[in-house]
Amino acid sequence: MQILIDTLLNSAMASAATALVAIGLALVFGVMRVENFAHGELYMVGAYVTWYVSTDLQLTYFSALVCAVLFTALIGAVMEVALFRRLRSNPVGCLIVTIGVLLVLQTAAVWFAGINRTLLVESPFPGALRVSSFALPWHRLFVIVAAIVLMLALTWLLRRTMFGWAVRAMAQDREAASLQGISIGKISIAAMMLSAGLAGAAGGLMAPIVRISPFMGQPVIITAFIVIIMGGLGSVEGAIIASILYSTFFTFVSTYIDSTVAAIAGLCIMLAVLIFMPSGLMGRTEKV
Amino acid sequence: MLELRSLSVHYGAVAAIRDLSLSVDAGSIESIIGSNGAGKSTTLRAISGLVRPTAGEIWFDGGRIDHLESKAIVARGIAHVPEGRRVFPDLTVEENLLIGGYLRRDRVALRRDFDEICSEFPRLAERRRQMARTLSGGEQQMLAIGRAIMSAPRLILMDEPSMGLSPIMVSTMAQIIQRINRSGRTVLLVEQNANVALSICDRAAVLERGSLVLSGTGAELKDNEHVRIAYIGI
Repeated sequence: MQILIDTLLNSAMASAATALVAIGLALVFGVMRVENFAHGELYMVGAYVTWYVSTDLQLTYFSALVCAVLFTALIGAVMEVALFRRLRSNPVGCLIVTIGVLLVLQTAAVWFAGINRTLLVESPFPGALRVSSFALPWHRLFVIVAAIVLMLALTWLLRRTMFGWAVRAMAQDREAASLQGISIGKISIAAMMLSAGLAGAAGGLMAPIVRISPFMGQPVIITAFIVIIMGGLGSVEGAIIASILYSTFFTFVSTYIDSTVAAIAGLCIMLAVLIFMPSGLMGRTEKV
Repeated sequence: MLELRSLSVHYGAVAAIRDLSLSVDAGSIESIIGSNGAGKSTTLRAISGLVRPTAGEIWFDGGRIDHLESKAIVARGIAHVPEGRRVFPDLTVEENLLIGGYLRRDRVALRRDFDEICSEFPRLAERRRQMARTLSGGEQQMLAIGRAIMSAPRLILMDEPSMGLSPIMVSTMAQIIQRINRSGRTVLLVEQNANVALSICDRAAVLERGSLVLSGTGAELKDNEHVRIAYIGI
């Protein structure tokens, strides 16, 4: 019974973390048609900034989390202005520069903190909630709640504000959007900052419970790509639903069978979705 | 109000329009007719900054606009209803209209224009919560026009508003364009359907292979033998 409850909680947490990373990836793909392979490294940078600010600078975990979001959002803005903007009509070029950014960020992390150190971030919520014989670690519950709040905020922003309509309009028809006076450059910067900031937030939230390493973004980005393909490329809602389905499935299979089997089965599910629902669960062609 | 001076636009080495001079008077309906590929859409796209002219100048209300970005051109009061309507399929009717007023900050005026469009197009008002993709072709055309009006333009560019519509809808559209014009907005209308365009416009120009070949009042061109044979088919 404890195993089942633990697995459910772990599924919820994995869903939350995956969704935070995947919606940013989906947003940028939807709006800018860029597959950002460096997105996992923004997650990694979020964890490093959280570690650095909360240990070396000795600020609170929450200040560290805010710094992580701001710093990654800044990297996102720089990527748009310095790279993507110059390659607007060159999708392959964009893809290649994102791999370049990936390598630069990984190397920077190795250079900054070394590779063999164990970096520990202390959670502001130590201990666990005990209900009879079950123990639910507080920080895991916190990650789940924080992710839900962030996703609701993003959904509100995209569905209920003029800014959100502009973002979605640009994803649906870029030229018609510029005829409404929407500035493609400004919306692109905003989308990159939101996307990167969410990845940074995910990294910061997970920092106390995962092993922080320069390469921690790799498995995360692979999962996120599987999830956004399943959800329908560019669809934020699809990415959230697919994150929950995929992460729950993956967590259960790796707990009760084996994590390698889970990874293989996960890819098979993605293939099945692509064969039977080629545009994904929520997929139409262009949607944010 | 709008003046094109010896305008040329090239796509690569191919000239889409060549040395085109044209002026549109404030308060009028001016139309450009011509067959497919004559350069009609390109002319409108150059005016709203979607393509850059390779030569010539575009003047609007005493200012040169051919080097401005689309955003600045919208802000100066030119709205463009693009060919094929191009409404945002996954935004609701209401969101499509509101985004037409993206650059406007005066909430009260925006609300007033929104209500005016709802009373002008009751079918849009009924469907305001529906996604634009669920509308019929005629309704989408109304939405595209409503979206353009939301930017409070003084000049509206319309690219083939009758395309793909039923004959009844085409005459409804003609009435809508006349009403828009009567409410004080200048219209530059591009049409393949020469009969409709010449009936409602004040002046018209005929474009062939990127060059201006004829111009005059709508009635004059309707009587012109070349126009009758080539574009009206009588």
